[in-house]
Amino acid sequence: MSKPSIRIGLLKWLLVPLLVVNLAGAGLAYWLAWIPARTAFDQTRILMGLVWLEAGLALLLAVVVWLALGRGLLPLKKMTADLEARSDDDLSALDEQHVPLELSPVVQAINRLLDKVQQDAKAQQNFLANVAHQLRTPLAGFRTQLEWLLQKHAGEPESAHSIALMTSSTERMIRQTNQLLALARAEPAKFEKERLRVVELNRLVEESIQHFVEQADRKNIDIGFNLQPTRVMGDHFLLRDLIDNLVDNAIRYSPSNSKVTVSTLHGKDGGIFSVEDSGPGITPSEQELIFNRFRRLDDSVAGNGLGLAIVRDIAKDHGARISVESGVSAGTIFSVHFPFPILGMPSKLPA
Amino acid sequence: MHILLVEDDSVLADGILRIFKGHGMVVDVVKNGNDADALLQRTEISAVVLDIGLPGIDGFEVIRRLRARGSQVPVLLLTARDSVQDRVYGLELGADDYLVKPFATQELVARVRALLRRSAPQPLEMHLGGLSLNTSSRRAKINGKAIDLSVREWAVLEYLLQQASRVVSRQQIIDAILPWGAELTLNAVEVYISRIRLKIADTGIEIRTIRGFGYMLEKTEP
Repeated sequence: MSKPSIRIGLLKWLLVPLLVVNLAGAGLAYWLAWIPARTAFDQTRILMGLVWLEAGLALLLAVVVWLALGRGLLPLKKMTADLEARSDDDLSALDEQHVPLELSPVVQAINRLLDKVQQDAKAQQNFLANVAHQLRTPLAGFRTQLEWLLQKHAGEPESAHSIALMTSSTERMIRQTNQLLALARAEPAKFEKERLRVVELNRLVEESIQHFVEQADRKNIDIGFNLQPTRVMGDHFLLRDLIDNLVDNAIRYSPSNSKVTVSTLHGKDGGIFSVEDSGPGITPSEQELIFNRFRRLDDSVAGNGLGLAIVRDIAKDHGARISVESGVSAGTIFSVHFPFPILGMPSKLPA
Repeated sequence: MHILLVEDDSVLADGILRIFKGHGMVVDVVKNGNDADALLQRTEISAVVLDIGLPGIDGFEVIRRLRARGSQVPVLLLTARDSVQDRVYGLELGADDYLVKPFATQELVARVRALLRRSAPQPLEMHLGGLSLNTSSRRAKINGKAIDLSVREWAVLEYLLQQASRVVSRQQIIDAILPWGAELTLNAVEVYISRIRLKIADTGIEIRTIRGFGYMLEKTEP
């Protein structure tokens, strides 16, 4: 396929006006030269007339060139608009097919750069995931040893205290490591839609229930569940990260002796996962900001500010929408609304 | 209960070894796939805890060879990678369970116990706090005093005690106590639970309700 060329386009536009203007100018000059100049006054008038005429024609030509250039540069304008309309994480190649010949090298150069940036970003993600994986075995060893030590020294308050502190630090390291992995996994640029399978949300929550209950027990929080059979299209591990992060946040930000309720249900537009906490609540102005990385509402609560950013990325991967509402009395309800329908699958499971 | 632990990280292997020993299990530890494969061919083992990433032949190959020999020994896989492919592949090869590092040791012990229960005969006596159940005489005692339980109540309590300190759903209880095909409503489970609660009151153990989900038998805080 031959590409349009800006030069040829310009030439098409300018050829006729250039010819017309030049021929007209030459013709006029030729005609004027035949008029006998009787007086010096006449000569001056003819000269002035010629000057004005040439000036007028030049101006006309300038307008034509202006318009022609504007038209010629349209593809550049379109490219700029396309680039500016992109989301931050879109590093896909620019369309090389429909750009003019002259812009082709530029587009190719930009594409090479984008490709390199994309490769680097991927390498970075892989490195991150790799490091996180490498950390898991030593962390597992550390944790196991500490738990054994804690059993052995349960009767000695001072040792037990110190071991409990080390255990909680280890738990934090484990969480950070898992968060790094989740972040690397959820990265929308890296996500491939083919990974989506039918996932039973209620089962995913059930798999983590032991962990949630133990976590809630530490703050004496009454954690409850309303798990109706709910199927969505998704990635098992990413959805588990999403569930873990939302429940973990709810427990973190709720005061001791309060309530947290985790639900999975079928809304009219598809599966819904929601968590209601009894935390301090989130004002509408804050609701936009909480999903940004490293944003934390309360510095007194331990955390890395990645949880909701991960949730947002995972929701985006699944084409799901997140809503944040105020709870019935106080607190907040985070809901993730998954799209419907599931291709080739019944919308509801038998109870 | 003879357990084979295959893990190349010596700190983790040592930790798991101590924890298992603390629970009265006999443990062999090997650090690579070839040794594991050799040992599995000549020793009677009740369960295998197997790391996937091993020097020599990996965990997948160990389990493939094990099953190729027709062995039914339950296998729990340990892994640092949690990809779907790994998990599906491991289970397809014949692993019985799968745990991602770093895990809570309680979780590991509970899962290994569950595997052992499937393959080995039940222990005759189970204890928690002041409660003891004798599974052969089907007698329940609290602080040495016998209590009366109906057949269903016994079954529910036995299951809860097997799963002590673990959250179980109402459906899991029904599945555990009923022969296939029999029907029982979720409400009936609640009724059994409340009757059992009355009978085990003030014994240092309690059945906690996990709102909207199920129950957990545990020791009460001293």
